[in-house]
Amino acid sequence: MDTSLIVPGVIFGLSIGSIYFLMAIGLSLCFGLMRIISLDQLLYYSVGAYITYSVNLHTGSFWLGVLAAVAAGAAVSLAIERIVFRRIYERDLTFSMITSFGVLLGGVGIIKFFWGLVPRPVPVPISEQMSIFGTEIPIYRLIVILVAIAVYIAIWLFLNRTIIGKAIRAGIENVEHVEGLGINVARLFTITFLIAGTLSALAGALHAPLIMVDPHMGLEVLAFVFMVVIIGGLGSIKGTLISSIIVGQVVSLGSLIYAPLAQMAPFAIMLLILLVKPTGLFGSVLLKR
Amino acid sequence: MRKAFDWWWGIALAFSLLAAMRAFLPLPFVNEILIFSIYAIGCSFLLGRVGFISFGQPAYLAIGAYGTAFYLFYFGTNPYIGILAGLASGFIAALIVGPLFVRLRSDYFALVNLALAVIVFFLMQKVLAPITKGDNGLWFLTNMTSTPVLDITRPSQFFVFAFIVGLAIWAFYKYLDDTLFGACCLATKINEDKLQFLGYSNFSIRLAAFVIANTTTALAGSLYAVYIGAVSPEITSPARAADPVVVILLGGAGTLYGPIVGSIAYTGMKDVISKLIGNWEMIIGPLLVIIMLAGEKGIWGTLEPWLKTLLFRNKSVVPQKNSSIEGN
Amino acid sequence: MNTGSNLLDVEGLSVSYGSAKVLFDIALTVGPSQIVACVGRNGAGKTTLLKCIAGFLKPVAGSITASAASLVGLPPYDIAKLGVKYIPQDKKVFSDLTVRENLELGSYATKDYNWEPVTTYFPKLKTLMDRKAGYLSGGERQMLMIGRAILGNPKVLLVDEPTEGLAPSIVSHLKNVFRELSKKSALIIVEQNLPLVCAISDKIYAMNDGRIVAELANEASIRVEVCEQYL
Repeated sequence: MDTSLIVPGVIFGLSIGSIYFLMAIGLSLCFGLMRIISLDQLLYYSVGAYITYSVNLHTGSFWLGVLAAVAAGAAVSLAIERIVFRRIYERDLTFSMITSFGVLLGGVGIIKFFWGLVPRPVPVPISEQMSIFGTEIPIYRLIVILVAIAVYIAIWLFLNRTIIGKAIRAGIENVEHVEGLGINVARLFTITFLIAGTLSALAGALHAPLIMVDPHMGLEVLAFVFMVVIIGGLGSIKGTLISSIIVGQVVSLGSLIYAPLAQMAPFAIMLLILLVKPTGLFGSVLLKR
Repeated sequence: MRKAFDWWWGIALAFSLLAAMRAFLPLPFVNEILIFSIYAIGCSFLLGRVGFISFGQPAYLAIGAYGTAFYLFYFGTNPYIGILAGLASGFIAALIVGPLFVRLRSDYFALVNLALAVIVFFLMQKVLAPITKGDNGLWFLTNMTSTPVLDITRPSQFFVFAFIVGLAIWAFYKYLDDTLFGACCLATKINEDKLQFLGYSNFSIRLAAFVIANTTTALAGSLYAVYIGAVSPEITSPARAADPVVVILLGGAGTLYGPIVGSIAYTGMKDVISKLIGNWEMIIGPLLVIIMLAGEKGIWGTLEPWLKTLLFRNKSVVPQKNSSIEGN
Repeated sequence: MNTGSNLLDVEGLSVSYGSAKVLFDIALTVGPSQIVACVGRNGAGKTTLLKCIAGFLKPVAGSITASAASLVGLPPYDIAKLGVKYIPQDKKVFSDLTVRENLELGSYATKDYNWEPVTTYFPKLKTLMDRKAGYLSGGERQMLMIGRAILGNPKVLLVDEPTEGLAPSIVSHLKNVFRELSKKSALIIVEQNLPLVCAISDKIYAMNDGRIVAELANEASIRVEVCEQYL
């Protein structure tokens, strides 16, 4: 393996990992607090990418597109939460998984209806390169990594420094006790779902210039995002961060060694980790309900 | 006595219905329903009896289909042996992943299976492309030789074969339900701790159920392969991961005849809707949500108690599933 | 019967888990500053009763009224906001949060940021403020659970097995705290410790198999020997 490929490989891996992290964090929080598996996060990811594509096409501004995508993600996830999830929080986990898959499929249908089946390209907003250790790195990938870091810090501050964040952390441990204190948990659920949907849309928007935007893009990242969540452990934020870095690197460096490894290696690692620890790296056994 | 009657009566009715459909509906449609219901019953058994929901059924379907396809494309010509090859590969695959998967909590199980389906898709589409011919798929319709007695390379005789296989599978699952094993499966779903106190191993019960269910799914895959005469990675595309789940929910999860009723409804709808509009997801997605919000009993789950009262009017009717659990 | 001066009125309350009925036609009243105890064997339905009043279980029949407001059908957090607070028996504090954060959540829910009563009842908590609640002892956890529940001056406290598994010194401390608390709030206590119950209660309901089988409301009958008949 050529060593000059390693630095770009690592940066590439970190940027992919950043996208996975943005999506997985929402899934993980939703699981932790509401005990739902929200497959429809992959829909908000696609919506984010398509909104970015359309806004970029008409206004020529990618960053405006990202803003619009985040707003659209928030709006759609809020609507879905009100219409669908409100009714199913009390039900068991498989229930939310099937229902959210229905939402995902329906959403993919609607996307096909509006944008058609043809994959759409989104131009990279910053085409300049930057020299790191003698190799040229696209600046846009660095920006993606910085956004993910900023989101991690923001989420950390939100959970540890604000009272709503503390209530969410308390709810992850024991929802009934939070309710018993008189805190409106329905509102906590909505806020958490909204955060998840918004971050998924942000992930889609940022990912758009790096791939082709097509109706099934959500289903394509699905496996990787779930591997991140499973390896990190459902409901753990620290675990999600670490496993998204691992999966990103495995995808990127794996493909340098042998291209098909990009898809197979994360899966093998996931199986290996589950073999040792069936609840993932940081998943809590206590989360059984 | 009544029990033995019940046994055969239900299966006989369901399958005479299918046989009757053969007379009125186009052959490909009925064949598809047959294969689809075999595909769905494994998933239905896992969900209804063991409490595991598997979004990864397409993976096992593909393993069965590719097992058959590899044999018929590269090695032999006899479709029966092809089906056996598919069955065997499904059985082996389930034995390999099973011990790992059944240890997982049901939430992880669902996610890992979904990941498996996507990985098998990548495997067939890209990684093994030299052998699987990637997206083009393997075409072996002309490789298959006619077989004596029942020539399953011909659709009309394939129907007879699939019909017999389906009947045998239903009899087998009905038998399973009535055995101690069936009761143990249900017990691992309801209270795994108590089952352990009784001296049963959750692990081996779940493993057995997992292997049985996924071997059945692989069988459906190999039937598909022989019937179509071709296999492509499309069979395990993530967009179709929910197919069997939709079918069993449509029919009613955990009921024995749910998969048949669900397959008829699903294949029918798919046929009608895709003629009207090309956008299948837009209908099936909301439909899935509505079924779930409406109480997840499905068509058969709603019909069954009603049918039973109608047919055994004088006898007390034991409601299926939930209520019988809580009653004692 | 309904005099209007009662803080909590329960009438004709029935609760089922699925098809199994666990509470039958429960009626009880709690007046201002009263300590009311529920005694009975395991499985008599005491915890179910408290959970139902607090809104965690929906009754199939009956009414629950607190100061003229009906509690039936309200979500638990609204019931808590109306001043009826449940302190579960599991002694599970939010172990990942510090003691201070645990109390902050109580304050956030009730908008009552005055922690003086809490630290007066439980001076020990003052020294533990920045410790993760997961590292507290059983007694300290119980103090924290009571502490975060009494923020916002609740009208009725539903206390489930508060002394279970605690050291005798803490039990006697809690006994005094309950007496003090009853000056401001009424209490319903589910408890196995009969001497404690008899020492502090104004009224005792004995439960068996989901029914109230006796109501002991005077000095003569609130005695350990009388209570024991119903166990």
